Amino acid sequence: MELLGLMLALFGAAIAGGMAGVGSAVGIGVAGESAAGVMSEDPDKFVQCLLLQALPGTQGFYGFIVVFMVLNKLQLFATPVPVTWVQGLAIFASCMPVALACWYSAIWQGKTSAACIQMISKKPEAMGKALVLPAMVETYAVLSLLTSILLLTFGVQLG
Amino acid sequence: MSYMYAVARLRANENRFLDASFFSRLIDSATLEDALKALGETVYAQWAAGSSEASLDRIIDSELIATCEELARFVPDKELIGIYRMTYDFNNVKVILKSLFKARENGERRYDLLSKLGAVDAESLIMLIEGEEYGFLPYGLGDVIRRCLAVWDQSKNPQQVELILDAHMFDVMRATAEELDAKLKTSNIARWVRHRIDAENLRNAVRLQRMNYDAASALPFFHKGGTIGPDGVAKLMGEPFETWGKSLSHTDVGAALELGQDKTDVQAALSDISKALDDYLIRVLDKAKYSASAPENVILYLLRKEEEARNLRIALVCVAKGLNREFARRLLSRGR
Repeated sequence: MELLGLMLALFGAAIAGGMAGVGSAVGIGVAGESAAGVMSEDPDKFVQCLLLQALPGTQGFYGFIVVFMVLNKLQLFATPVPVTWVQGLAIFASCMPVALACWYSAIWQGKTSAACIQMISKKPEAMGKALVLPAMVETYAVLSLLTSILLLTFGVQLG
Repeated sequence: MSYMYAVARLRANENRFLDASFFSRLIDSATLEDALKALGETVYAQWAAGSSEASLDRIIDSELIATCEELARFVPDKELIGIYRMTYDFNNVKVILKSLFKARENGERRYDLLSKLGAVDAESLIMLIEGEEYGFLPYGLGDVIRRCLAVWDQSKNPQQVELILDAHMFDVMRATAEELDAKLKTSNIARWVRHRIDAENLRNAVRLQRMNYDAASALPFFHKGGTIGPDGVAKLMGEPFETWGKSLSHTDVGAALELGQDKTDVQAALSDISKALDDYLIRVLDKAKYSASAPENVILYLLRKEEEARNLRIALVCVAKGLNREFARRLLSRGR
């Protein structure tokens, strides 16, 4: 049963890191297509395009933070603590907010960034506003990260 | 290539559209040389260098052709550009057929009127039609050309031939748009084609009203497939022109006609209406500009480029011929 608990916890961590990473990759890809289109005609917009394209990448890092926290919680870097299947399931559940919200928000942030890249191609002076709009989507990725951190910290007691 | 890339590239290109202040400066040019010099600072520079009054059309057409060719390189579905260029192909077919009819009566062929803006090479069209190899013609034109020739033999009426070709063009346009919509799922290009048919029908209606046609005799001139049926457009005939907007107020195009309502003289309203309908066709697609990946943006871009070309032609001709500046300003379509 101890092994099942560990498996569930690691499975949760893997989903959190994987889904957030996939979301970021798709988001950056979508924004990158838009950036490439703009830069084909106006290479001077490279810096602005790069900034906007990078925004959906943060979700991948949030996923990684949660993976790291789970590994730390299980003390896999030192002497692993025993994990019951209930504790494993609780860790699995704690990983879900970041897995789902980061996956979906990264894709939508990518779409928003793509639209904002098109906006700055016409109105370069609106760069500030162009950064704010995708950042609004980021809010929910950050909230999901905080939820996962809180659940992992206070929701699951090991040892 | 994706539409996200294509639309972003079009957005960046939109910065190069000539704006209202440029047209104003162009119209105010003292000589054509000054106007061409001003044009040399724009995307038209590569075509404007060393040009004269005789080559104004070449400058504008070259830019339009270059735009279509450039778009064809990165737009995922070439059919979108095909829908736009189709009109020029069918115009070329009309020119070739009319030339053929004239030649049969020992007249002169007018191949100088052929446009290079078509998607199909005009020389190939001449070769296929004159060589009677109709089966190789694009857009399923084979049978249509045979029908046109038969109609001509019976009636000697070029207008009837044009109507057959226009009806076929709209059928092909609609079918292409519907295929595209089915493939892309997110687009509604067929809707634009329906409005395009409406605009053409209304343009015909204004011309026919000017020639005092009644509803029954005007009916064959209106095409099927629009949001307003041919009967609906024919009903307008004989009604005072200023009431047309009200009669069509239940349709989207009704608002476009309201512009001409202050003019009881149909002739004076013709250019205003024509301009308003062109503007309307752009407005139909306006919602697409809020989407970062809507395929309709490709047609929207081409229509705006065409609008720019039309305005440029007006401005340059005005300067070259020394026409009244205010008259030229009135003719210009509103820039966006």
